[in-house]
Amino acid sequence: MKFVQRRERPEPETMIPLINVVFLLLIFFMIAGAIAKAPPFEWQAPDSRSESPPGRSALVVHVAADGRLALNGEPAKLDALASAVAGRADSAAPVQIKADAQVAARRVMAVMAHLRDAGVEKIRLFTRKRGGG
Amino acid sequence: LQFTRPRKRRALVSLTPLIDVVFILLVFFMLVSQFADWRTIRLDAPTEAGDGASLRGAVLVRLHAGGLDVNGRAVASGRLERHLRRALGEGGPARVLVQPGEGVSLQRAVRVLDIATAAGAGDVKLLEGRR
Repeated sequence: MKFVQRRERPEPETMIPLINVVFLLLIFFMIAGAIAKAPPFEWQAPDSRSESPPGRSALVVHVAADGRLALNGEPAKLDALASAVAGRADSAAPVQIKADAQVAARRVMAVMAHLRDAGVEKIRLFTRKRGGG
Repeated sequence: LQFTRPRKRRALVSLTPLIDVVFILLVFFMLVSQFADWRTIRLDAPTEAGDGASLRGAVLVRLHAGGLDVNGRAVASGRLERHLRRALGEGGPARVLVQPGEGVSLQRAVRVLDIATAAGAGDVKLLEGRR
Protein backbone atom coordinates (compact mmCIF):
# COMPACT_ATOMS: atom_id res chain seq x y z
CA MET A 1 0.00 0.00 0.00
CA LYS A 2 1.32 3.33 -0.99
CA PHE A 3 0.19 6.66 0.25
CA VAL A 4 0.56 9.79 -1.71
CA GLN A 5 3.40 11.59 -0.19
CA ARG A 6 2.45 14.85 1.38
CA ARG A 7 3.85 17.82 -0.32
CA GLU A 8 6.44 19.56 1.68
CA ARG A 9 5.48 22.90 3.18
CA PRO A 10 7.22 25.92 1.74
CA GLU A 11 10.41 26.79 3.43
CA PRO A 12 9.99 29.31 6.24
CA GLU A 13 12.86 31.31 4.75
CA THR A 14 10.65 32.46 1.88
CA MET A 15 8.26 34.00 4.39
CA ILE A 16 10.85 36.14 6.09
CA PRO A 17 10.97 38.96 3.48
CA LEU A 18 7.18 39.13 3.61
CA ILE A 19 7.23 39.43 7.37
CA ASN A 20 9.87 42.13 7.13
CA VAL A 21 7.77 44.17 4.75
CA VAL A 22 4.64 43.76 6.85
CA PHE A 23 6.54 44.80 9.94
CA LEU A 24 7.84 47.90 8.20
CA LEU A 25 4.31 48.81 7.08
CA LEU A 26 3.06 48.26 10.61
CA ILE A 27 5.71 50.53 12.07
CA PHE A 28 5.00 53.15 9.40
CA PHE A 29 1.29 53.26 10.18
CA MET A 30 1.90 53.28 13.91
CA ILE A 31 4.23 56.27 13.70
CA ALA A 32 2.76 58.27 10.83
CA GLY A 33 -0.91 57.87 11.54
CA ALA A 34 -2.51 59.80 14.34
CA ILE A 35 -5.21 57.99 16.21
CA ALA A 36 -8.05 60.37 16.86
CA LYS A 37 -11.01 60.01 19.12
CA ALA A 38 -13.94 59.82 16.77
CA PRO A 39 -17.20 61.53 17.62
CA PRO A 40 -20.48 59.62 17.24
CA PHE A 41 -21.28 61.45 14.00
CA GLU A 42 -19.73 62.30 10.67
CA TRP A 43 -18.22 65.72 10.18
CA GLN A 44 -16.38 67.53 7.42
CA ALA A 45 -14.02 70.34 8.32
CA PRO A 46 -14.40 73.66 6.49
CA ASP A 47 -11.85 74.61 3.84
CA SER A 48 -9.51 77.44 4.63
CA ARG A 49 -6.34 79.12 3.45
CA SER A 50 -4.99 79.19 6.98
CA GLU A 51 -1.53 77.72 7.41
CA SER A 52 -1.26 77.33 11.17
CA PRO A 53 -0.50 73.75 12.09
CA PRO A 54 -2.65 72.04 14.69
CA GLY A 55 -1.05 71.64 18.06
CA ARG A 56 -1.88 69.12 20.70
CA SER A 57 -4.77 69.48 23.03
CA ALA A 58 -6.45 67.42 25.69
CA LEU A 59 -9.86 68.93 24.95
CA VAL A 60 -11.58 68.52 21.61
CA VAL A 61 -15.13 69.68 20.98
CA HIS A 62 -16.84 68.24 17.90
CA VAL A 63 -19.83 69.98 16.35
CA ALA A 64 -22.01 68.04 13.90
CA ALA A 65 -23.77 69.57 10.92
CA ASP A 66 -27.07 69.47 12.81
CA GLY A 67 -25.56 71.09 15.89
CA ARG A 68 -24.96 68.04 18.07
CA LEU A 69 -21.89 68.27 20.27
CA ALA A 70 -19.28 65.85 21.51
CA LEU A 71 -16.53 66.48 24.02
CA ASN A 72 -13.51 64.23 23.48
CA GLY A 73 -15.68 61.83 21.51
CA GLU A 74 -18.48 61.57 24.07
CA PRO A 75 -21.85 63.16 23.31
CA ALA A 76 -22.39 66.34 25.29
CA LYS A 77 -25.00 69.00 25.79
CA LEU A 78 -24.29 72.66 25.30
CA ASP A 79 -25.40 73.60 28.80
CA ALA A 80 -23.24 70.91 30.36
CA LEU A 81 -20.20 71.85 28.29
CA ALA A 82 -18.96 74.61 30.58
CA SER A 83 -19.01 72.46 33.70
CA ALA A 84 -17.45 69.53 31.87
CA VAL A 85 -14.63 71.70 30.58
CA ALA A 86 -14.11 73.78 33.69
CA GLY A 87 -12.38 71.04 35.62
CA ARG A 88 -10.09 70.01 32.79
CA ALA A 89 -9.27 73.26 31.05
CA ASP A 90 -5.60 74.08 31.07
CA SER A 91 -5.21 77.78 30.36
CA ALA A 92 -1.96 77.20 28.48
CA ALA A 93 -3.32 74.59 26.06
CA PRO A 94 -5.93 75.63 23.53
CA VAL A 95 -9.24 73.87 23.19
CA GLN A 96 -9.77 72.47 19.71
CA ILE A 97 -13.10 72.83 17.94
CA LYS A 98 -13.75 70.41 15.09
CA ALA A 99 -16.92 71.71 13.55
CA ASP A 100 -18.71 70.66 10.40
CA ALA A 101 -18.53 73.11 7.51
CA GLN A 102 -22.31 73.21 7.17
CA VAL A 103 -23.21 73.90 10.78
CA ALA A 104 -24.60 77.35 11.57
CA ALA A 105 -21.79 79.72 12.52
CA ARG A 106 -23.98 80.91 15.39
CA ARG A 107 -23.91 77.44 16.88
CA VAL A 108 -20.12 77.36 16.92
CA MET A 109 -20.06 80.79 18.47
CA ALA A 110 -22.43 79.63 21.19
CA VAL A 111 -19.99 76.80 21.90
CA MET A 112 -17.15 79.31 22.03
CA ALA A 113 -19.11 81.51 24.41
CA HIS A 114 -19.71 78.58 26.74
CA LEU A 115 -16.03 77.69 26.60
CA ARG A 116 -15.15 81.24 27.50
CA ASP A 117 -17.52 81.05 30.45
CA ALA A 118 -15.59 77.99 31.55
CA GLY A 119 -12.37 80.01 31.54
CA VAL A 120 -10.97 78.91 28.18
CA GLU A 121 -9.02 81.65 26.46
CA LYS A 122 -7.42 79.96 23.48
CA ILE A 123 -9.54 78.25 20.88
CA ARG A 124 -8.44 76.65 17.63
CA LEU A 125 -10.90 75.87 14.88
CA PHE A 126 -9.92 72.92 12.72
CA THR A 127 -9.93 73.43 8.96
CA ARG A 128 -8.61 71.60 5.96
CA LYS A 129 -6.26 73.04 3.45
CA ARG A 130 -8.15 74.01 0.37
CA GLY A 131 -7.68 72.10 -2.87
CA GLY A 132 -4.28 70.61 -2.10
CA GLY A 133 -2.51 73.85 -2.92
CA LEU B 1 30.17 7.61 -0.67
CA GLN B 2 27.79 9.24 1.61
CA PHE B 3 27.93 12.69 3.13
CA THR B 4 26.17 13.55 6.26
CA ARG B 5 23.35 15.79 5.31
CA PRO B 6 23.34 19.07 7.15
CA ARG B 7 20.55 18.82 9.60
CA LYS B 8 17.79 21.33 9.07
CA ARG B 9 17.34 23.85 11.82
CA ARG B 10 13.98 23.71 13.37
CA ALA B 11 12.20 26.96 14.13
CA LEU B 12 11.51 27.12 17.81
CA VAL B 13 8.24 28.97 17.32
CA SER B 14 6.05 28.61 14.32
CA LEU B 15 5.90 31.79 12.30
CA THR B 16 2.31 31.54 11.17
CA PRO B 17 0.59 32.87 14.33
CA LEU B 18 3.11 35.70 14.46
CA ILE B 19 2.29 36.68 10.91
CA ASP B 20 -1.41 36.54 11.69
CA VAL B 21 -1.04 38.85 14.64
CA VAL B 22 1.14 41.28 12.74
CA PHE B 23 -1.35 41.37 9.88
CA ILE B 24 -4.20 42.09 12.25
CA LEU B 25 -2.21 44.89 13.88
CA LEU B 26 -1.38 46.25 10.44
CA VAL B 27 -5.02 46.29 9.38
CA PHE B 28 -6.01 47.91 12.67
CA PHE B 29 -3.53 50.74 12.32
CA MET B 30 -4.37 51.24 8.64
CA LEU B 31 -8.05 51.66 9.46
CA VAL B 32 -7.63 53.80 12.54
CA SER B 33 -4.91 56.18 11.37
CA GLN B 34 -5.74 59.55 9.90
CA PHE B 35 -3.55 61.33 7.43
CA ALA B 36 -5.67 64.44 6.91
CA ASP B 37 -3.75 67.64 6.32
CA TRP B 38 -5.13 69.64 9.22
CA ARG B 39 -4.82 73.34 9.69
CA THR B 40 -6.28 75.54 12.38
CA ILE B 41 -7.58 79.06 12.74
CA ARG B 42 -6.89 80.97 15.92
CA LEU B 43 -10.22 81.92 17.31
CA ASP B 44 -9.80 83.32 20.72
CA ALA B 45 -13.03 83.64 22.63
CA PRO B 46 -15.59 85.69 20.72
CA THR B 47 -16.08 89.31 21.54
CA GLU B 48 -19.48 90.18 22.87
CA ALA B 49 -21.33 93.00 21.25
CA GLY B 50 -21.34 95.78 23.80
CA ASP B 51 -17.70 95.36 24.75
CA GLY B 52 -17.10 98.92 23.59
CA ALA B 53 -13.36 99.32 23.88
CA SER B 54 -12.51 96.49 21.53
CA LEU B 55 -14.99 97.60 18.90
CA ARG B 56 -13.70 101.10 18.35
CA GLY B 57 -11.88 101.61 15.08
CA ALA B 58 -12.58 98.17 13.76
CA VAL B 59 -14.08 97.21 10.45
CA LEU B 60 -17.33 95.33 10.96
CA VAL B 61 -18.33 92.68 8.45
CA ARG B 62 -21.85 91.39 8.95
CA LEU B 63 -22.96 88.21 7.25
CA HIS B 64 -26.58 87.53 6.49
CA ALA B 65 -28.22 84.59 4.83
CA GLY B 66 -28.39 86.58 1.59
CA GLY B 67 -25.24 88.68 1.51
CA LEU B 68 -22.87 90.72 3.59
CA ASP B 69 -22.12 94.29 4.48
CA VAL B 70 -18.99 96.14 5.51
CA ASN B 71 -19.55 98.87 8.07
CA GLY B 72 -23.19 98.91 7.10
CA ARG B 73 -22.69 99.13 3.32
CA ALA B 74 -23.77 96.13 1.32
CA VAL B 75 -20.90 94.57 -0.62
CA ALA B 76 -20.86 91.75 -3.14
CA SER B 77 -18.91 88.85 -1.69
CA GLY B 78 -16.56 88.84 -4.69
CA ARG B 79 -15.48 92.39 -3.90
CA LEU B 80 -15.06 91.92 -0.18
CA GLU B 81 -11.28 91.67 -0.28
CA ARG B 82 -10.92 94.93 -2.23
CA HIS B 83 -13.32 96.71 0.09
CA LEU B 84 -11.49 95.48 3.15
CA ARG B 85 -8.11 96.50 1.72
CA ARG B 86 -9.44 99.99 1.16
CA ALA B 87 -11.04 100.16 4.60
CA LEU B 88 -7.91 98.89 6.29
CA GLY B 89 -5.58 101.01 4.21
CA GLU B 90 -6.89 104.23 5.71
CA GLY B 91 -4.45 104.00 8.53
CA GLY B 92 -6.81 102.68 11.14
CA PRO B 93 -6.05 99.62 13.21
CA ALA B 94 -6.03 96.50 11.10
CA ARG B 95 -8.84 94.95 13.01
CA VAL B 96 -11.80 93.18 11.46
CA LEU B 97 -14.83 91.89 13.31
CA VAL B 98 -16.93 89.28 11.59
CA GLN B 99 -20.51 88.93 12.77
CA PRO B 100 -22.32 85.93 11.28
CA GLY B 101 -26.07 86.21 11.30
CA GLU B 102 -28.82 83.64 11.39
CA GLY B 103 -28.53 80.95 8.74
CA VAL B 104 -24.86 81.52 7.89
CA SER B 105 -22.84 78.34 7.64
CA LEU B 106 -19.49 77.96 9.30
CA GLN B 107 -17.88 77.50 5.89
CA ARG B 108 -19.01 80.99 4.86
CA ALA B 109 -17.76 82.53 8.07
CA VAL B 110 -14.40 80.79 7.66
CA ARG B 111 -14.13 82.03 4.09
CA VAL B 112 -14.70 85.60 5.25
CA LEU B 113 -12.08 85.15 7.97
CA ASP B 114 -9.66 84.00 5.26
CA ILE B 115 -10.46 86.98 3.07
CA ALA B 116 -10.00 89.39 5.96
CA THR B 117 -6.63 87.87 6.78
CA ALA B 118 -5.61 88.02 3.12
CA ALA B 119 -6.65 91.68 2.99
CA GLY B 120 -4.07 92.46 5.63
CA ALA B 121 -6.05 92.45 8.84
CA GLY B 122 -3.80 91.51 11.71
CA ASP B 123 -6.58 90.92 14.17
CA VAL B 124 -9.66 89.10 12.93
CA LYS B 125 -12.30 88.21 15.47
CA LEU B 126 -15.70 86.68 15.42
CA LEU B 127 -18.32 88.88 16.98
CA GLU B 128 -21.44 87.51 18.56
CA GLY B 129 -24.63 89.02 17.27
CA ARG B 130 -27.68 89.83 19.28
CA ARG B 131 -29.73 86.80 20.11
